[in-house]
Amino acid sequence: MSGSQSDMRSEPIDEMLLIKYLLGDLSEEEQVRVEDRAFADADYRGALEAVEADLIDAYVRGELLPAERHGFERRFLISPQRRKKVAFARDLARVAAEAKAAESASSIRLSAWQALLRLVRGWNPVLQFAAGLAVLIFVVGSSLLAIQGVAMRSRVAVLETQRHDLQARTEGLQRQLGEEQARAGSLAAQLQQQQKAGGAPVPLVASLVLLPGLSRAESRREQLVLNPSAQIAHIEIQLEPGDNYPRFRAELRTLRGEEVLIRGSLPRRRATAGYSVSFDVPASALAEGQYELALKGLLNDQSLQDVGYYYFSVQKQ
Amino acid sequence: MQSEKWSLTQEAFNGLLDSLAPNRDIAAERYLEIRKKLVRLFEWRGCSTPEEYADEAVNRCAKKIGEGEEIRDVATYCIGIARMLLHEMARERVREGRFLDEVPEPHTVPTEPGSDPEHGVECLRRCLGELSPGNRDLILNYYQGDKGEKIKTRKGLTELFGVPASTLRMRALRLRQRLQLCAEQCVQQHATIAL
Repeated sequence: MSGSQSDMRSEPIDEMLLIKYLLGDLSEEEQVRVEDRAFADADYRGALEAVEADLIDAYVRGELLPAERHGFERRFLISPQRRKKVAFARDLARVAAEAKAAESASSIRLSAWQALLRLVRGWNPVLQFAAGLAVLIFVVGSSLLAIQGVAMRSRVAVLETQRHDLQARTEGLQRQLGEEQARAGSLAAQLQQQQKAGGAPVPLVASLVLLPGLSRAESRREQLVLNPSAQIAHIEIQLEPGDNYPRFRAELRTLRGEEVLIRGSLPRRRATAGYSVSFDVPASALAEGQYELALKGLLNDQSLQDVGYYYFSVQKQ
Repeated sequence: MQSEKWSLTQEAFNGLLDSLAPNRDIAAERYLEIRKKLVRLFEWRGCSTPEEYADEAVNRCAKKIGEGEEIRDVATYCIGIARMLLHEMARERVREGRFLDEVPEPHTVPTEPGSDPEHGVECLRRCLGELSPGNRDLILNYYQGDKGEKIKTRKGLTELFGVPASTLRMRALRLRQRLQLCAEQCVQQHATIAL
């Protein structure tokens, strides 16, 4: 574990990958990899947060491409925490632009003033006074214009962002309406089909039987197929005659080693041929992928002995 | 999120803390760290209520511990539960047609209705005024300009400060986070006074 973590740390940080992650453009496996590294490596997590800040800035400045903007709005504008970040970024962009404008206006004023001073030094006092007055009027006037220009640009930027938001929301609502209509149509069609077919019920339980000596070999993979209506996956492990323990414990994890669930104190039941151990898993706990099921015998002194390891894959329809 | 009937009891929470560390203070720190990570995870994945989901993941873990499950690494286990919740969330959205979560909400009114967005800018200016001149210049310059201009400015800043780009980036990010917190607190105070 520590070896793989130090390997992770030595890998260079791919900022494009982080942008894709934040916009939801990565596969589940890639997302998990980014998150695992972010949790293990503080520098990587910092980089992810910095990329997130830049992405938010790019959004409020209207620099994102339409597809990126769409992804951003789906992921960033739905949680209060992130909406606050977006609001803050907008304020920061405005204040930073004002500061920059004020700075450049002041430097322009300074250089113009110095040039005029050099010129005016050669003139007589009356001309010097008149020129000084003219310069003063010019500087005050141009400063006012510059400030008004900055304020106007800020307002335009805010209005433009508001227009984008309203447009995005309208598009979103239209999309939602279309999806709902399509969904309603499809449900009606399904209902009709079921009625025509004699109303055969859709199974809510998917079953998987793991046989001794077959599934224990990693080369042989059983498959658990979950249709959309399945709520529960019933897993039954058939035991060999020697697997004679008072109780069993099942540990289900992904092939990456992430624990999905542990069931302790499972009894052995009489099956058609010999004995079996079974338990139920909520279908929602099983994502598509490869799984390892470790079955252990639980002795009276609470010690555990390996019975076998079973491998299967989950496929969703 | 599917509503869990089980709610966290003091006993289950104590069990969770015990499994994190024998010392209560250290255990509490670890718990907060795990919760923070979970909130970030749900936020990164575009969940609308990250805090609620993070608590649900912790509750489920505490429940398992209360039931006598042996969990060797609580943080990893919680992250595993969080990923299961994300799957549940995705499936629920599809199954129940909850596309409303995916529809962007207008972010032009990020704060409570009736609040003035100008207060946010005023508060930000006030908080910027509380920074040292060096830090104020850094944050205003670091986050200023469009894409191309930003790259150029940041290169100039790394040369000016004589630090690597990654160090400067982290310094600017921490300042930004500090500033955001200050501005939010200021807006909140303003709202409280107005009430």
